[in-house]
Amino acid sequence: MKAFFIKIRYVVVAALILLISAAVIGFSIYLTSLDKEIRARFAGARWALPAQVYAAPLELYPGQALDSATLKHELERLGYREQPEPQGPGTFAITKDQALIYTRAFNFWDGAQPESRLSVRLAPAGITEVNDAVSGKSRDIVRLDPMLIGSIYPQQGEDRVLVKLTDVPQMLPRGLVAVEDRSFYSHYGVSIKGIMRAAFANLMAGHAVEGASTITQQLVKNFFLTPERSLKRKFKEVCMALLLEAHYSKDEIMEAYLNEVHLGQDGNRAVHGFGLGAQFYFNKPLSELHPHEFALLVGLVKGPSYYNPRRNPERAKARRDLVLQIFNDEGLIDDAEYKSAVELPLGLAGKSDGVARYPAFVDLVKRQLKGQYQDNDLTNEGLRIFTTLDPRAQEALEKQITEGLPVLEGQRKMKAGALQGAGVITSVDGGEVLALVGGRETRYAGFNRALDSRRSIGSLAKPFVYLTALQQPQQFNLTTILPDDPISLTMPNKDVWEPHNYDRQNHGPQPLYMALAQSYNLPTVALGLRVGATEVRKTMQLAGYSGNVLPVPSIFLGSLDAAPVEVAQMYATLAASGYQSPLSAIREVETKEGQPLSRFPIKVKQTLPEGPVYLATWAMRQVMTLGTGRSAYNVISPSTIVAGKTGTTDEMRDAWFAGFSADRVAVIWVGRDDFRPMGLSGATGALPIWSKVMRDIGVRGLDPLPPADVEEQLTDTATGLKADAGCTGAMLVPYIRGYAPTETAPCASILAPVNSAVDWLKGMLQ
Amino acid sequence: MTQWIKVGAVVLTLVVAGCQTARGRHESNVPPQPTQPSAPASKPGYGVVTPPLGEPTPVAPTTPVAPGTDSVLAPPTEKVLPNFPKSADAISGPAVLSLLRSAQSARAAGQYAQAAGSLERALRIEPRNYFVWSTLADTYLRQKSYDQAESVAQKSNSIARGNVYVLQENWRVIRDSRTARNNPAGAAEAQSRIDVIQQMLQPAVLPVAPQ
Repeated sequence: MKAFFIKIRYVVVAALILLISAAVIGFSIYLTSLDKEIRARFAGARWALPAQVYAAPLELYPGQALDSATLKHELERLGYREQPEPQGPGTFAITKDQALIYTRAFNFWDGAQPESRLSVRLAPAGITEVNDAVSGKSRDIVRLDPMLIGSIYPQQGEDRVLVKLTDVPQMLPRGLVAVEDRSFYSHYGVSIKGIMRAAFANLMAGHAVEGASTITQQLVKNFFLTPERSLKRKFKEVCMALLLEAHYSKDEIMEAYLNEVHLGQDGNRAVHGFGLGAQFYFNKPLSELHPHEFALLVGLVKGPSYYNPRRNPERAKARRDLVLQIFNDEGLIDDAEYKSAVELPLGLAGKSDGVARYPAFVDLVKRQLKGQYQDNDLTNEGLRIFTTLDPRAQEALEKQITEGLPVLEGQRKMKAGALQGAGVITSVDGGEVLALVGGRETRYAGFNRALDSRRSIGSLAKPFVYLTALQQPQQFNLTTILPDDPISLTMPNKDVWEPHNYDRQNHGPQPLYMALAQSYNLPTVALGLRVGATEVRKTMQLAGYSGNVLPVPSIFLGSLDAAPVEVAQMYATLAASGYQSPLSAIREVETKEGQPLSRFPIKVKQTLPEGPVYLATWAMRQVMTLGTGRSAYNVISPSTIVAGKTGTTDEMRDAWFAGFSADRVAVIWVGRDDFRPMGLSGATGALPIWSKVMRDIGVRGLDPLPPADVEEQLTDTATGLKADAGCTGAMLVPYIRGYAPTETAPCASILAPVNSAVDWLKGMLQ
Repeated sequence: MTQWIKVGAVVLTLVVAGCQTARGRHESNVPPQPTQPSAPASKPGYGVVTPPLGEPTPVAPTTPVAPGTDSVLAPPTEKVLPNFPKSADAISGPAVLSLLRSAQSARAAGQYAQAAGSLERALRIEPRNYFVWSTLADTYLRQKSYDQAESVAQKSNSIARGNVYVLQENWRVIRDSRTARNNPAGAAEAQSRIDVIQQMLQPAVLPVAPQ
């Protein structure tokens, strides 16, 4: 019997040993697999890094037209803080005639620019001097760090801006340790004391009220595990935390934590890491945060949605103040700092100041990159994309569209929100897209009308009809008299086309330039029929029209569809004297390490002849002085010469204005998404917005100097014949050299012989 | 016969190139003037250290003749030539000159993309500065972007307001681009433009070289 029991005991012990061995082996295999997972994740790129998109940097140089108020606004937009005495990068002090700016360092595509202290002298007309505030030496030109305007993250994706532990102020990791995991620097991944404390608290409460996760465990949870709550998962978490600690230093774990932690949600974009958190909530880099700002972010770790400072400011402030208390207890801030910090408001940047400010523009950037980069490159590789966006131009365009539409709705007794608008601003020489608005809700990525709303362009097509004619100087010039008579055309499909003037009146014969200035339809069709629809279409294509329209006479009056950005391309070619530059929103792309990947250099190609383009734009200047665009000069200074054209479509479904100065092209469209008539013309709907935009961005006026192959001659506009001082109402009109009218107008006939005698005498003396 | 014309063209090309390079050299010897009214005269910094904007290759500089200094023998046609600025210094602000200098050192180091980047920055500040466009054209030429080199040179021509020094330089770029793209007829046409400019500039040089 005894022997039997001994035998049993042996069996049991053997079985136990076997079982334990098996468990140990099994556990080892389990651990090894976990270990492999951890190493794999930590070894390579730990995160998919969205591409970062930057605006064009503001350049400071003597002669830059930037007054004190504008400069202050620009600095504030960049998240620079005004201080009585600038201290540290990202701060400034400003008066009417001087600014002291402590600039941030930035790695530009063509080299690093260190932080510097600048003293900028200001006059009402602009910057007069830029000096290094330390050495006193003058600086010819300095770039400010460009604004981060967005990132290209995957759908439903995580967005982050990576930071290095060494670049992070000590207050953040130390504060996090104090708040989240006091024994972080002494434990091995899990804290027995913490678990006991949490268990006791939970026991007292009867349910789970307190987590016991160390920073390491939190990282593991975010990194490797699903959010489900189970004992099995908890076990895995503990094992992984121990393994992570075994492989990696505390600093590595802390750095990963700083970049991984979830700090908020912005639509379908998840804000991860303190680098992006600082931008998202305070619109400045992490290195520039103050104690109360750090405290807010540290407090958010516990529950970014529960403590969402934008939605629950009071709750967030209570949490922040509690964190500040801990900072004070830990000696991270002294009593005085604590007292002043809790008095401070949250100090959040407006949500629109955050990183996703210009969705419509970033949309354009993405499309331009599409052919060259895979989607994965853009969402994972942390590329740095330097764009052409001019925040000042963008602000003006947004402001005038969002403020202009309600005014128009009021005037036309429309329901608020009935109208939509879109706009584009580009540079003239180089074709850079400086601003883009895709709809009145400028902060929301939605239907991008500037790129995708292809609408009938109406009279915006006319300059291309006239330009086609003006390329035949032996046949047409600006003072050629055109008939304004009814036209009836039988189309190939037997339909009859009978265009009318906008006012349904006939105005008698018109000089060519006047027909364009007044946007008369009948003379335009008469002219178009003489040069042919195919030729007119060709001119449009040479200007940049890419659509596929049949060459039928109705295109003379703009029955062809184009998006605002395409119209901007066409008008930019006119503005640049026939030299087309394909519109571009990007200057450079580089890797996250700062290696240049691709440059988008200025491209120029002459597609239209300079002389005729000059004549056409001369007529477009008359649009602004005596034609349908003249109300612009109620807003723009009359000394600033601009050129442009109104566009109105059938039954007033679309209101357009497109035009340019010496340096800027702007296109405005106003209409309804449901294509219903709105009772607004190009002149009443789009021009007021256009004029204010051009005024706000401070355009340079056109230089009325004709090119070499153009001559000017005094002309009697009633007859289109050569005039002289004896003719009242004569105009100095440009002609292609050699094609100015030679026949003398009746009004000049009396003086003509005398004049030619004088000319003859002059010729003799030379 | 055509052979000789070709040889002549090559010689002329070299001469033109020589004159071109001499231009920058010469300009740097002239004490620069403050170019912007806003630049205070007390600040000697602007432009003083301007390195030559032409090529650094040393070539015997042509001696300019100030109108009327030499003698009554100087042909009257000399006065017909307007007083065009010969280098960017005369028409550019300090910011643009600074960027031109950066572009020049990048070009010297063979970093043409870098140079083009600086020139584009300059053009954003002074979009009608035909010297900058002209330098950009030459930068494209060195980058072997012949298409762009020619287009940008044409653009510079169109805004140069008849400045023969710039036109001459631009036609040289156009000629070389056309040659590189195997367009001898186009290159010869560009050369003929250069010849015309050369003839216009000739009288000013003749009196000092009377042999």
